[in-house]
Amino acid sequence: MTADAPLLEVRDLAARFVARAETVEAVRGISFDIRPGEAVGFVGESGCGKSVTARAILRLAPEGSTVALSGSVRYRGQDLLALSERAIRAVRGRRIAMVFQDPMTSLNPVMTVGAQIEDMLREHTDLSRTAIRERAVELLDQVGIENARARVHDHPHQFSGGMRQRVLIAIAISCNPDLLIADEPTTALDVIVQAQILRLLLRLREQMGMSLMLITHDFGVVAGMVERVNVMYRGRIVETGEVDRVFAAPAHPYTRALLDAVPRLAIARGPA
Amino acid sequence: MATARTPRSGSPILRLVAVRLVWTAAILLGVSVVAFVLMRALPGDFAIAAAGAQFVQAEVLEAIRREFGLDQPVWVQYLRWLGEALQGDLGRSFVTRRPVTSEIGPRFVVTAQLTLIAALMALAIGGTTGLLSARLRGQTDWVVRLVNGLSLAVPNFVVATLIVLMAGLYFPFLNLFNYTPFLADPLANIGSLLLPALCLALAVSVTVSENTRAAVLEVSSQDFVMVARAKGLRPRRVLGSYLLRNALTPVITVTGLQVASLLGGSILIETIFAIPGMGQYLFDSITSRDYPVIQAIVLLAAAVVVFVNLLVDIAYARADARVRYE
Repeated sequence: MTADAPLLEVRDLAARFVARAETVEAVRGISFDIRPGEAVGFVGESGCGKSVTARAILRLAPEGSTVALSGSVRYRGQDLLALSERAIRAVRGRRIAMVFQDPMTSLNPVMTVGAQIEDMLREHTDLSRTAIRERAVELLDQVGIENARARVHDHPHQFSGGMRQRVLIAIAISCNPDLLIADEPTTALDVIVQAQILRLLLRLREQMGMSLMLITHDFGVVAGMVERVNVMYRGRIVETGEVDRVFAAPAHPYTRALLDAVPRLAIARGPA
Repeated sequence: MATARTPRSGSPILRLVAVRLVWTAAILLGVSVVAFVLMRALPGDFAIAAAGAQFVQAEVLEAIRREFGLDQPVWVQYLRWLGEALQGDLGRSFVTRRPVTSEIGPRFVVTAQLTLIAALMALAIGGTTGLLSARLRGQTDWVVRLVNGLSLAVPNFVVATLIVLMAGLYFPFLNLFNYTPFLADPLANIGSLLLPALCLALAVSVTVSENTRAAVLEVSSQDFVMVARAKGLRPRRVLGSYLLRNALTPVITVTGLQVASLLGGSILIETIFAIPGMGQYLFDSITSRDYPVIQAIVLLAAAVVVFVNLLVDIAYARADARVRYE
């Protein structure tokens, strides 16, 4: 594999939710590449299929539902859709990790945060118990949690929303993944914390050289975070390009509408 | 911050236990009054039951009542009983004249054993079927739900009677009424308690099953289960540490609350299967109006229920750090 070959190559991906009587197509004809170290944004309104696309990469269907996937998802040339359950499990978390939207509900309330980092390391590495414990402390420290050595013993309810998202990011990066998928990682947080989390993601991406797939409904989040952006609308990618170009000259009318939807700080003159 | 962490030393548990002990005293006092008054409100009394025959001279009845202090007003009888009970003397059985405590002791062990086996069975059966029906939701879980509905609808004494009847007719070699004391042969003892415990466990297992089903369904749609899968954890680990650990805490609480109904059910089950436990003894004592025995058994049962609930609360707080001892 040459340095320029894509890390992830998605071709003609379609996801259909199979219910008893009917089948609902959530996304179709999705094709995109993510190169090593590259950050790619996915922008679109709620329900446009961004999250389904992200989860389809790791074949994660929501609990209790069946999702039929077609097309191909090639990671380093290997089709993830063709892997066995056991083989895809070795990719999940280890090669491609995910951070989800709501940090308040994404941590197991009955386990300490340390244990939730450690079980991941135990699954994917051969480190000793003490090494795993050290690594958990190191990771919490790396995502900016003060007094990490003591905090590994704390439970999620002892952390604020922003701190919990940091913990979830620590879990996601624990095995040095090639690709981090962040699915609306700041949507549930307040603005100040949003900025902190985004800065953290930027810093980690640079330090670790991993690729980033950043999913958001907010064009404001994408700006300054990614090189390329895919705009999604009703289950399809309607526009793709360098982020500066898309901002400056949106080609698709929906992209223009989305850009106009970002509130601007201005004093209203007269009735709106 | 280390200093901001919830203290998890033994002291909160001790405080919980202390508060509960005060409550327990109040509950037991209340139970003792209710049991005392109710038993004496029943038609007939010990004298009539003891005399046995239908035509008895009034003087004979009076003599019996005087001998056992039953001629006094109920509140005098109660205060006398309470005074002795507070000094640790629960009196003597009217029937056998032996101290109540030595009468009940060995029988309590048998009932405790039966109830414990039944509770474990209910947890095992209910937990398994509940998990199964949650996993099979929308496909074949109707089988589990139908069986659950039937188990709940048919009272345990009917099931017990049918089992005894069927076993007697078709499997006489099973020798159902062959209760063996634990010390004589531990294995045979547990073996002889299995069928009775199953009858007892059936209705409770439905409660456990339905609660497990609801809890598993609720927890499995939680984000942290998706996160666990995205971490690449093996399914066994996702199920154990993430799903069940969260789903089973409420289930264990519910099961703890069912201990009262298990104790109640043991009266009928022990009587049907001829198990020399506390339940059967209570049944006999009510028939013979053996007031001190009834009083003691009711108090003991109440104490067990309170104690089990205390254990459940401690276990709950241990399992889930968000729960504080109060």
